[in-house]
Amino acid sequence: MVSPVLLITVPLGLAFALPLLGLLSRRMVKYIPVAAFLFNLIVALSLLPEAVKHPLVVSIGGFSPPFCINLVAGPVGVLFSALIALAGFAVATYSLRYIESGAQEKYHMLYLFLLTGATGVVLTGDIFNLFVFFEILCISSYALVAYLGDRASIESAVKYLIQGSIGSSFLLIGIGLLYGLFGTLNMADLARQIASASPISIYVPMALMVTGLGIEAAIFPLNAWLPDAHSSAPSSISAILSGIAIEVGLYAVVRVIFTIFGLSSMLMFFVFLGVLTLLIGELCAFSQANVKRMLAYSSIGQIGLVVFAMAMATSLAISGGLFQLVSHTLGKGLLFLAAGYLVYRSGSMEISSLEGLGMRMPLTSLAFTIGAFSIIGLPPFIGFSSKFLIVRAALAQHTVLFTVLVGLVLLGTVIEGAYFFRVVQALYFKKGNGEQKRNDAPVSGLIPMFLLMVLIVVMGVYPALMTDVLHSAASEFLDRIAYIRGVIG
Amino acid sequence: MTFLQDYAYYIGAFGLVFIGLFTMLVKRNLIKVIIGLSILETGVNLFLISVGYISKGTAPIFSKTGLKAERMVDPVPQALVLTAIVIGVAVLALALSLAVRLYHHYGVLDLRKIKEQRW
Amino acid sequence: MRSIISFVLLLIITWGISLSLDRIPFGESKTHVGDYYIEKGREETGASNVVTSVVVNYRGFDTLGEVTVLFVAAIGLSAVLYTRRKKQKGEVEPASLVLTTGCRFLFPLILLFGAYIFIHGHLTPGGGFQGGAIIASAFLLVYMGCRGRRISETGSKTVESLSGLIFLVVGLIGLAVGGRYFLFNFLPKGELNSLFSAGIIPIIYIAIGCKVGSELGGIIDRLVEESG
Repeated sequence: MVSPVLLITVPLGLAFALPLLGLLSRRMVKYIPVAAFLFNLIVALSLLPEAVKHPLVVSIGGFSPPFCINLVAGPVGVLFSALIALAGFAVATYSLRYIESGAQEKYHMLYLFLLTGATGVVLTGDIFNLFVFFEILCISSYALVAYLGDRASIESAVKYLIQGSIGSSFLLIGIGLLYGLFGTLNMADLARQIASASPISIYVPMALMVTGLGIEAAIFPLNAWLPDAHSSAPSSISAILSGIAIEVGLYAVVRVIFTIFGLSSMLMFFVFLGVLTLLIGELCAFSQANVKRMLAYSSIGQIGLVVFAMAMATSLAISGGLFQLVSHTLGKGLLFLAAGYLVYRSGSMEISSLEGLGMRMPLTSLAFTIGAFSIIGLPPFIGFSSKFLIVRAALAQHTVLFTVLVGLVLLGTVIEGAYFFRVVQALYFKKGNGEQKRNDAPVSGLIPMFLLMVLIVVMGVYPALMTDVLHSAASEFLDRIAYIRGVIG
Repeated sequence: MTFLQDYAYYIGAFGLVFIGLFTMLVKRNLIKVIIGLSILETGVNLFLISVGYISKGTAPIFSKTGLKAERMVDPVPQALVLTAIVIGVAVLALALSLAVRLYHHYGVLDLRKIKEQRW
Repeated sequence: MRSIISFVLLLIITWGISLSLDRIPFGESKTHVGDYYIEKGREETGASNVVTSVVVNYRGFDTLGEVTVLFVAAIGLSAVLYTRRKKQKGEVEPASLVLTTGCRFLFPLILLFGAYIFIHGHLTPGGGFQGGAIIASAFLLVYMGCRGRRISETGSKTVESLSGLIFLVVGLIGLAVGGRYFLFNFLPKGELNSLFSAGIIPIIYIAIGCKVGSELGGIIDRLVEESG
């Protein structure tokens, strides 16, 4: 059985070696991310059955925790690694033809680094290591947002960088306070010691760390950077940012709150914050005329929904939240990939310029439609199963408050349906002006879209495939004692 | 007075953090915002180092035989700050390159004028 | 208006942090992890500089991440400043004879000093990053002093990639042989306080030193070129 360390070191090694391989052959360079994430996907899927039974704790350097850094490849970590590898593989295949201008070699290196950073964040068991890999993720995404080099991209990248680095500094102050208070940096060790600490020692570092990580996770009111960044980046990168980067940020927030600090009384605050984020995201998306900006605001709404689910803190709710994260990666990734070629062929990002493309680009428009229906939550797609799980968990609370909140969530769904249907209507039911012959996306763009479409339908029809993984992942978050015992003993 | 003496390092570090954050939030010129970022990160690093200090301790290097282990400061925050300084330099380099590009496109560095993307 | 809101917000944040700072006494030992490293660091890793053994061996994964962050920033910088136009070689006014000769004389001495710092990282204060920064400052001196000389871009890229790969490969060798852990110290630990001690630590620090030096040199080169 392979060591989970390979999930991080193999893409990292390939990224380091990429300039040397580029000196040998320029054309081979763009196939390297595809190979790297195929490898990662195979390794992650092979580790999954083992990780679901009990988490694999790998220590780096041969010492025993808490005196070394350790990786915790539990159900959550391996599930996220598999998701990252899947999205990475799909978007790397898409980028084979989509990225044709600019410094291509550097794009592929930054892409490998971004996903390595994301994999590192989800697998690590040490809080400072989380900060370092989180920085790798953030800095690569700053550079990739600015990749196209035009006015909007550079401006978005600057605003993203400024807000992101304030967040990182807050995170670092929080880590410093934790080290000063408890004397250790290992997550399990901190969890063990926090159980007997006073409230002030808990609330201040937690507030700082959640603020710092929340900027990347795009929780309201820290998400001012997101619409600009996700709409100005190249579409392949928007797919990765919406599908992976903000979800990994949210994973870090959940890990910090549940595993390190333990369930606290602040969770009701996060429930309200989640619903507020959801409504604001969907309402802003409704008023957009630019399709990529609309999709970016929709990501904010979906993250709000996941925050709502996670903050309910029951096993069913957390499974629903994790399932929603998976469905968001698949659905939003598909939407951005399809939008990439739709915008490229029509020449502008306005929704009105997409009219009539249903005839000219049938497969791409079909992909967009399936992605849209999945995000809205229509059966038989995965989005329906995940939203249904969250609603079921909320109604299982049996209080009037949660029924009202469920009503608000469904209102958000209705608004989603409205703006997505506007785009679908433009694609299929309006006549475009221009040539009428078929000019669909190239094969390297259609293969990942097809792959994601198949997964959306399969997981929607058979959600039972994921139930085991989701339940043990939820219990990893909720059962701190088991986590501590697994790492330190 | 002893309060100031005991906590001088913390006050200094968080004073720098305060100044850096204030600069980043209030100033309009992009270069001044980047300088504020640098001051903020310096303050955070100073705070991290001062957490590890042990009174009358010396550097944790066993260069001579006979150095005792009880009189040494904590090595872990030093390792953390090493990493944090390098990460700060990396962010600064990227921020400056973006500032160069932004000046190229707009001709000014005033953040109030660089607001092409609307609601 | 904006200043007042920011000021009040920052006051609230500072007050919150100071509540927590009350519980962190200045100058007292708070950690059992640090004591363990000081006591056992010498025998387990063989380096007499405990900070080095923490940075490279106990928390070596963080150092790998840090090297990666710097690499990402260098690549990001050259990707952002990428331009397809040919760089026109402008007329550079040469500096005076005293300045040029002085820089050419100091350049190898500064390189030697930087190399000394990262080779002896496990014995004296310093290490890969510090030595690499000194090497980059030698390059900066040449750029400022003898204008018009540039380092070769292919050479610097090759050095960067190779050194990064050496770090990673040394770690992976530990995964394959030795104790089956990533970054396991599989070379003999030697005698304390001698140059050839501490297993893989000097090798990693030399790789980091070369990498950081060429990377920062490359960043400076790119920015100097940008300014014409």
